[in-house]
Amino acid sequence: MKVKITNGMFVALIMTIIYAKAIGVTQGSLAREIGHDMWIATILGTLQGIVMMILTAAILQKLPDQNFIGFAEALLGKWAGKIVAFVIFLFFLFSFGPIMVTFIYHFKDYFLPEAPIYLFIVVALIVGIFGGFHGLEVMARMALVGAFAVVCLNILLLTGSLSEFDIHNLRPVMEKGFIQTSWASRHYDTDWALATVMAGMILPMVKQSEKWVKAGWSGMILTCIAITMWPILEAAVLSAPVTAEYIVSCMHLARGAHIGIFLHRYELIMIALFSTSSLIQIMMSLYCSAHALSKIFGVKDYRPMLIPAGLALGAFGYWLVLDHLRAISFTEKEWPLISLPIAFLLPIILWTFGKLFRRKLSRS
Amino acid sequence: MKVNKIFIVILVISLLSGCGKRQINELALVSAVGIDQGSSPNSVRVTVQVVRPADARGQTGAPAGGTGEPIYSVQAEGKTIFEAIRNLARFSSRRVYWAHNFIIVINEKFARAGIADMIDFFTRNPELRMNTWIAATPNPASEVVSTITGLEVVPGEAVDKLFRYNEIVSEAPRTNMTRLQESYLNEYTHPVLARLELKNRGISNKKPEEFGSLKQIELSGTAVFKHDKMVGWLNRAQSRALLLFIENVDSGIEVITCPDLPNQDATLEVKSQSLHVKPIASGSVPSFHVDVSSRVELSESGCLATFNEMRGYLEEQMGNRVKEQIESLLAAAQKKYKVDILKLGEIYENEYPSEWRRIRDDWEDIFPQVQITIDSRAELTSAVLKITKKKIPRG
Amino acid sequence: MDNLEKDITDSLAENTNIISAILGDSADINKREFSFGQLKGVCFFAAGLANTDQVSTIVRSFAVFGEHQDASGNRTIQAISRSLILNTSVETKTKINDGIKGILSGDTLVLLDGYKEYLLVETKGWDKRGVEEPSTENVVRGPRDGFTEDIRTNTSHIRRRIKNPDLRFDEMTIGDKTNTSINIAYLNGTVKKGLVEEIKSRLSRIKIDGVLESGYIEELIQDAPLSPFSTIQSTERPDKVSAALLEGRAAILVDNTPFALIMPSYFWEQLQAPDDYYNNFWMGTFFRMLRYFAFLTSVLLPSAYVMLISFHQEMIPTRLAFTIASGREVVPFPVLFEALIMELAFELMREAGLRMPKPVGQAVSIVGSLIIGQSAVQAGLISPFMVIIIAITGISSFAIPSYSTSFSIRLLRFPMLIASGTMGLLGFTCAFFMVMIHVLSIRSFGEPFFSPIAPFSASEHKDILVRVPWWAMVKRPRTASGELRRLGAGQKPKPPSTSEERHEGE
Repeated sequence: MKVKITNGMFVALIMTIIYAKAIGVTQGSLAREIGHDMWIATILGTLQGIVMMILTAAILQKLPDQNFIGFAEALLGKWAGKIVAFVIFLFFLFSFGPIMVTFIYHFKDYFLPEAPIYLFIVVALIVGIFGGFHGLEVMARMALVGAFAVVCLNILLLTGSLSEFDIHNLRPVMEKGFIQTSWASRHYDTDWALATVMAGMILPMVKQSEKWVKAGWSGMILTCIAITMWPILEAAVLSAPVTAEYIVSCMHLARGAHIGIFLHRYELIMIALFSTSSLIQIMMSLYCSAHALSKIFGVKDYRPMLIPAGLALGAFGYWLVLDHLRAISFTEKEWPLISLPIAFLLPIILWTFGKLFRRKLSRS
Repeated sequence: MKVNKIFIVILVISLLSGCGKRQINELALVSAVGIDQGSSPNSVRVTVQVVRPADARGQTGAPAGGTGEPIYSVQAEGKTIFEAIRNLARFSSRRVYWAHNFIIVINEKFARAGIADMIDFFTRNPELRMNTWIAATPNPASEVVSTITGLEVVPGEAVDKLFRYNEIVSEAPRTNMTRLQESYLNEYTHPVLARLELKNRGISNKKPEEFGSLKQIELSGTAVFKHDKMVGWLNRAQSRALLLFIENVDSGIEVITCPDLPNQDATLEVKSQSLHVKPIASGSVPSFHVDVSSRVELSESGCLATFNEMRGYLEEQMGNRVKEQIESLLAAAQKKYKVDILKLGEIYENEYPSEWRRIRDDWEDIFPQVQITIDSRAELTSAVLKITKKKIPRG
Repeated sequence: MDNLEKDITDSLAENTNIISAILGDSADINKREFSFGQLKGVCFFAAGLANTDQVSTIVRSFAVFGEHQDASGNRTIQAISRSLILNTSVETKTKINDGIKGILSGDTLVLLDGYKEYLLVETKGWDKRGVEEPSTENVVRGPRDGFTEDIRTNTSHIRRRIKNPDLRFDEMTIGDKTNTSINIAYLNGTVKKGLVEEIKSRLSRIKIDGVLESGYIEELIQDAPLSPFSTIQSTERPDKVSAALLEGRAAILVDNTPFALIMPSYFWEQLQAPDDYYNNFWMGTFFRMLRYFAFLTSVLLPSAYVMLISFHQEMIPTRLAFTIASGREVVPFPVLFEALIMELAFELMREAGLRMPKPVGQAVSIVGSLIIGQSAVQAGLISPFMVIIIAITGISSFAIPSYSTSFSIRLLRFPMLIASGTMGLLGFTCAFFMVMIHVLSIRSFGEPFFSPIAPFSASEHKDILVRVPWWAMVKRPRTASGELRRLGAGQKPKPPSTSEERHEGE
């Protein structure tokens, strides 16, 4: 039986795969660049993301049974498919760095400072491979639970920190000017890039191809709503300079949240909810990179490829996370340089070739 | 099969790793910290007040033993705060654990030398919580921290509650770590801290005739900082005015002399106060208009006049009183200390971002010249339960 | 044993010898020879299984027949069975095999001299346990009858509730040695499409020597054989089975056990009780929520406590932290060890109380609660907080209606405890996450086990987290086929026409 997931699950996947990094690490980078206008950059980033998501869905609608790799293969032959597979593998390999930065700096720095880093990598890989092994359907169901967790987390944070909300910290709007703000949105672009490339890999397994476009943009908008709450609260409650000081700024916000006098700290509950999103990121990047690997080596089943993919991704993640400074400079400087060309150019190139070889497309 | 294998792998890894864990009863839970200047000007002396849970919480089926004191206070010195804290480990049998710290008390001398490293240390560490209160004191911080209070068993807890219910008198800013860090990192607004002081207030149960033989901690007044260095104190009235600018004040009392009897007073209880600052951009030096409105109730009166007769007079007096307080605060901030602790810069920035960009680099010089006009109104709405008053025969 | 496949001959002596040889000298097989006039014959029946009154009725009718009959050869065996035998059911057969099976299940085999066929008369009548209240699933409001060991009694319970020609019981026999009869119950036309065929194909695959309880069948046809969760619901309650049949599911009844199996089964159903549907819907919803809460508590509470105490002390509210610390002041064990000891002690007490005869069981619980609850704390071995945690966990796990679910929780608790006791929050979330992945990945007869939460299906939510009133539960669940409406239109009760109108009428 061929695995098929619903469009609702697809939306949930988009939401959970973007959420984890976007609320914490990305907002810190944004605050360092443009201060309290983080939320504007996030929204600007979302607009670009919607365009790319729609483009991705539109390309794949032409050949509803094929993902990006299959599409390139159908158009330009076997080797083009392998090149695209390699590019996608590279994308997910490097994406594992920022994902691990998010996961480990949340868990290790705030909760288990004495635990060794390899433990986090090993546990994350075990969970990721376990989830990837069960396939997309299970991950998609997990994403539904994850989306529910995201909503709970937002509500918890809102109740805990609304009392300290100071609107003055948000004004004046667009202090650094439109150009710099939209340039800063590249940090958020790297987050939705994960979602669009993921969509390029899994869309063929989503039911009802005519609904893909709608599911794509509504997913991006819902994600934007869930995420934008964070930069607004971070700027208003913590103020931009404080947000900019921290690697994981959302944790700093969560640390200050309290309900009443008795429940003076509950970031543990929040991080438990947050971890569903973070772990789905891990599972998904493992799953997609294993898929790409299986296409490169021409293996039918992706499952055996989970182990080599896991080792490669894990090794890279470990190397990156070992040094805080290296991790942050990679996330802020090199990672946009790697991810954005792939996220923007890959769909555009495929789309152009699709236009050029329209006849071939209609035949297949 | 797969599931089993994975499970075994996890088990082995987890048992091998055994990341350093300490149970809650192997920790020395700190409930208050005092920071003083050390014996040499460059060093710092840290006093910690550690809770002894068995004695602080009474019998729970287990023999507690020991001295029976609920707290254990120790001191250590070092070049930096962290070094001093590590030095505590030389004689603390348990690991010093900061997460449940209620309050950090800073001695005036140390504060005048600069608290930048203190702020950094306490916000860098994940163990510490962000709603720890911070206060400055003219007394030795070590003494403040180890003072036993009457009602609570754990002194740190007592100070925590003092801060929490401080709104009844509203005489000190409730600065916690989040706010301190925020105002410290803001280039144009300067931090303030609450003032704690030891006063002989308590009456010993054993020797009631010796009034004030027990020292108690009093929370009143404000310490003013310029960036990270303390520059001076604000008194009670100035602190009240300051609170109008930086917090919501919904409580407090004012005593006003009777209109008819010079040696009798009427007491007004503040029910709510609100303050609006309107910036006015004019040339290179902006000016501000401050608009305060207070709603008060008459809660005690020794005057002859009835509520109705006094109403206008009291409202006017109250308005003037608030205005005086604000003027006194402005004098201190603008003339004496020359620091913007009122967030006026931020307000100006919100309203006139482009003008602000022009003057912000000189804000430190401009602030003392800023013209501020005050408009204060008061409204006396109720005399609580009574409406008339017994006429006291004159003479 | 090739005699079993043979037909009988027309010689009475030969036939008798064959059957006696097959059955051996077994003490419970009775042989009643008779000879009335020219009519000679032998009855075989199993003592205890066959009702002796009915056997003697058979013999008596032959006696009447033999007196008045001069020749026996001129009547066919069909005629004899039609005109002579007074019992409710009688068959004429030739294969020895069928006769042996009949004898062993309580029927009486009648061999007549000169006939190449024999009669198999139903005389089943053994001692049965009366219908009692089910001991594992008690309800406050609801029917009190439970299944018994007798499969026919059990099917009658269901038939009494659903008097509909569509209710079918398909019979199968499983077990090479035990020949246990198994009935698949379903409502024809309502049952999920393909379900009965799937069940039959899974059942017919079973090759086993004996089936003594429905647990055998459950493990042999389950979708997730390695999972601690059971994807087939077992119940002693006929009303539960009937409700499942009405929702388009199927049930398997196994002879000699009061436990029926219901499939497919969702995770959520194992936390629901029949009471939910019989009481007021507010009550039903509240109890249901309470049970979900109990489920979470019994899985997570001990591990959350251990995690907080040994890793994340900063998360405990300060005043509570002081109290816990003072309780643990003299406890010599690490908290994980303490929790494991207490969990084991609790399980021991539960198990001991269960296996002992009732009067001794009480002694076990008194000794257990005194030693664990009182002395261990006073001796400073266990902190009072841990006792409270374990007690709450225990009570929560007893609040789960399905025994097999509360057992699977018990099993999950230990890995969760170890993971969170060694790796703190990381272990806790990752262990929980892996359990979630597992639960989400298993299916029950083609239905996702965690449905309708994930995969999400909005229309099913009237009966999962909440229980809406009956007048609002318009549709059957998705599993059912055929007519989807279960309720007529406008079933919400309304007060009679307004009083003003009535006054006008008067």
